[in-house]
Amino acid sequence: MKAKNGSMVAYDGEMAFKKLSGGGEGIRGMVTRRITGEQMTVMEVRGQGTCWFADRASEINLVGLQGDKLYVESSNFLAADAGLRTGTSFTGTRGASQGNGLFTTTVEGHGQVAIMSDGPAVALRVSASYPLTVDPGAYVAHQGNLRQSFQSGVTFRTLLGEGGGEAFQIRFEGDGLVYVQPSERNTIAGDV
Amino acid sequence: MSTVHHDPSTLPADDNVNPYTFCVELKGSQWFLQKGKMIAYYGTIDFNGIGHGRLDRLVRTSFHSPLHASDWVVAEGSGKMLLADRAFDVNSYDLEDGNLTIRSGNLLAFQPSLALKQSIVPGFLTLIGTGKFVAASNGPVVFMEPPIRVDPQALVGWADCPSPCHHYDHGYMTGLMGGLRAMTGLGGASGEEHQFEFVGAGTVLLQSSEALMAEQTTGAPPQQAGVPGSGAPGAQGGRSGVPGLPGQLGDLQRRFGL
Repeated sequence: MKAKNGSMVAYDGEMAFKKLSGGGEGIRGMVTRRITGEQMTVMEVRGQGTCWFADRASEINLVGLQGDKLYVESSNFLAADAGLRTGTSFTGTRGASQGNGLFTTTVEGHGQVAIMSDGPAVALRVSASYPLTVDPGAYVAHQGNLRQSFQSGVTFRTLLGEGGGEAFQIRFEGDGLVYVQPSERNTIAGDV
Repeated sequence: MSTVHHDPSTLPADDNVNPYTFCVELKGSQWFLQKGKMIAYYGTIDFNGIGHGRLDRLVRTSFHSPLHASDWVVAEGSGKMLLADRAFDVNSYDLEDGNLTIRSGNLLAFQPSLALKQSIVPGFLTLIGTGKFVAASNGPVVFMEPPIRVDPQALVGWADCPSPCHHYDHGYMTGLMGGLRAMTGLGGASGEEHQFEFVGAGTVLLQSSEALMAEQTTGAPPQQAGVPGSGAPGAQGGRSGVPGLPGQLGDLQRRFGL
């Protein structure tokens, strides 16, 4: 399986760890990651036994994928089954508002993915009848067929320092799941 | 755990989703909310700063903390809204015609049926009236009955107690050696020589860790004689929030009469 470099804390049985240059995405993936700045160092874990992964005591959430695509920030990615393909995709203005860059990591295929969050993530279902709005600082990952749009509530009042405090939001429409964490990263928009 | 997928019909109304996330249901109603504590919402909800003209009446009746006005917003509309704060434990509490004083950084949200007032104790806010509010704490909250002495860092708030005051273990603190001991930790300072003391009827809320919430700088109370924390003559020193702990130079200076 693939895991974030250095996230192994313990194992029993026989294990071999190998750094995967370019996240095992081949030359093209490597170049894309270098260009987009969505860097992720991944290692390949091979062998038999049990292996425990952890990173800075952050909460770990398991997401099962059945042929759909999970979008997750590389900083929130912990481990994935080897059968899953990882890649990079463009997030547009959402990435900019999160302060995490304009690109995000995608995981595709069948299997389990472990993602990290500050506090246990809450999975929120989005469907046609109920769209969801999320604070960019609390967004962790999403999966399914979702359209995201960026909402900005910046008005002249924000400039006067009397903004609503939630000036930037991401709106998800379509069908899928959004994972949010009970904590906010520091974003550019955090204090507006 | 993430096998539970929430949607608006499964999310609780005005209750915890998990120990760290709280869900508020709005049906055309309003809630006061500290800035940036909303993590997601379903439905249509507007967030407006306290200074918003249309909210003047609401602010006049239930918001009496001009120093904190820039940290608070009013959420109104209909839908379900999730609140969380730095992955700390959050809980809601009901007040019935009561009063409760809480560290300003710990309060997340409250219903406008409560009135928020700045406490005389710097860095604390008092809620008066009837309604629900949401507060965060590092670790679960413990409720204690006075008389009790508590560690300053573990104090979250108190309800109905008329007498929060400082308590020093005096024998340990007096004289030059006591001061040095408190300042350097040499010679057996336990770090617990100073407590807050509560007596009388009421409830004291403690968190089960000594990690404080980061407090926002909120300016100073009006410069008037007799107003604690205002820095005006006759008032306490300008240090707001944490009252002087033993071992800080300020105390030593006073001890030596400097």
